[in-house]
Amino acid sequence: MDKDQLLKYSMLDFFQNDSKSVLDPPADFEEWYSHPLVSFGFKFAGQPMLSAPSTITKIQSAVDDQARRIINLTSYNYLGLSTHPEVIQAAKEALDKYGTGSSGSPMVSGTLDLHVEFARRLAEFKQKEDCLLYSSGFGGNLGALQGILRKGDCIVIDEKGHRSMIDGGLISGAKMYFFKHNDMASLEQTLEKCKGKRTLVCVEGVYSMDGDLVKLPEVVALCDRYGVQLYLDEAHSTLMFGENGRGVGEHFHLEHKVGMTFGTLSKSFGGVGGFICSNARIIRYLRGYSSPWNFSCAIAPSTVAGLMKALEVATRDSTLRDKLQANTAYMRKHILDMGLDIGKSESQVMPIIIGPDSKLLYELAAGIQQRGLFLQPVTFPAVPAETGRFRMSISAQLTQADMDEALNIIKDVIVPAVKK
Amino acid sequence: MTKQEVIDVIKKNIVENLDDIKAEDIDPMKSMADYGANSLDIIEVVSCTMRELNIKIPRAELADIKNIDQLADRFVQNMNQSPQA
Ligand SMILES: Cc1ncc(COP(=O)(O)O)c(C=O)c1O
Repeated sequence: MDKDQLLKYSMLDFFQNDSKSVLDPPADFEEWYSHPLVSFGFKFAGQPMLSAPSTITKIQSAVDDQARRIINLTSYNYLGLSTHPEVIQAAKEALDKYGTGSSGSPMVSGTLDLHVEFARRLAEFKQKEDCLLYSSGFGGNLGALQGILRKGDCIVIDEKGHRSMIDGGLISGAKMYFFKHNDMASLEQTLEKCKGKRTLVCVEGVYSMDGDLVKLPEVVALCDRYGVQLYLDEAHSTLMFGENGRGVGEHFHLEHKVGMTFGTLSKSFGGVGGFICSNARIIRYLRGYSSPWNFSCAIAPSTVAGLMKALEVATRDSTLRDKLQANTAYMRKHILDMGLDIGKSESQVMPIIIGPDSKLLYELAAGIQQRGLFLQPVTFPAVPAETGRFRMSISAQLTQADMDEALNIIKDVIVPAVKK
Repeated sequence: MTKQEVIDVIKKNIVENLDDIKAEDIDPMKSMADYGANSLDIIEVVSCTMRELNIKIPRAELADIKNIDQLADRFVQNMNQSPQA
């Protein structure tokens, strides 16, 4: 295949595999991977950071293999909590007391007093009866959906919904429908098809590639009208939206309408893990049927202690989320003033949409990195082919000087290339 | 291979991948979504069909296709220009 043709392919094109052994990838995948730009893309995604994933950090650059100081607008450390001194102190103390591991799945022996206390606090925070902790966010979504849905049920997911919800739906055997992103006519049409079946509608508070918010009041109205349940993934909104930081449900004053709410502990919380909150009866039932909870080791104790402190720090007052909002507003204003396209972003998730030219996207990624700014390109199939982009994560940790330096680099490198 | 034969291969794969649908009920002027296919089902039908026709078109180039008939046109066009076909 000629080299330019190869670049039109993506990970979606090599799923089928006709090689003789299951341990051999498809031959054309190998050919695709060996294209210098494709290999560079994979290498760029795997660049090791040399210190904490804070807004200022060091990276071993894939561009020239130099260790380089960078402003990091890629990590999900939205509130900077992973390096907060009180969080680190709490984690250290738990490390001394409990050691490095939980040494068991929650079903058998992995539950420590820390897990029980943290789950209780999360349920109280989310104003639900009970909470289940998972060792990853992915596992939480997958385990919740796989655990409550059955063959014969309907799962209705926004087409921009996260892979973990799709995989949970697939494993459950429920009939899966996608509705057009945030499109209520499409949701309604889909709910018509599910009439008479147990149905769960799955949406995200803040969408992870576009940073726009779910139209929650409209979704709730439709769920009520059809008498179906609502599942809300608040991965990119917990601790950041709502008067008390409870998320987009609180932002719209509709938490009581959300049947099951999901959050991850890896983004604003700065650790790792996931959780769901709902009524006590379904949580009790899930303890028997949610595989990633039953059959995978519980979160490490030092991490739980850090997370518990992170929850306290982020909710004792509004300092961090106010700072995040101010930083987001500042970046948004200046990016828009430069004439760049941020799509429908309404949050700290802010894409800079470049277009279908992935070669240009990677050239720009290398260019800004050499100037000291780290942004990760996102291409098809993660986003539609014509909307290749950088996905910026704004953080409360950014100082005025960091933001101005980042904006200068964007102005010097990205703006001229996009305007051409 | 004629366009009608290509359409028949697509129909066969729709029947194999979706519940409760017969080939004779499929109107090529409609989209697979009209027959209850979600985006994962469509990927599966398209992959199986391309494999059977021994062609490979980047998925990114199929995003704008609106119905089964247009998909068949695109496949036929590729078979005519591809040395493998
Ligand atoms: C919307 C959404 N849900 C769930 C997850 C999974 O969370 P985690 O990365 O913590 O496993 C992510 C992040 O990848 C996400 O963006």
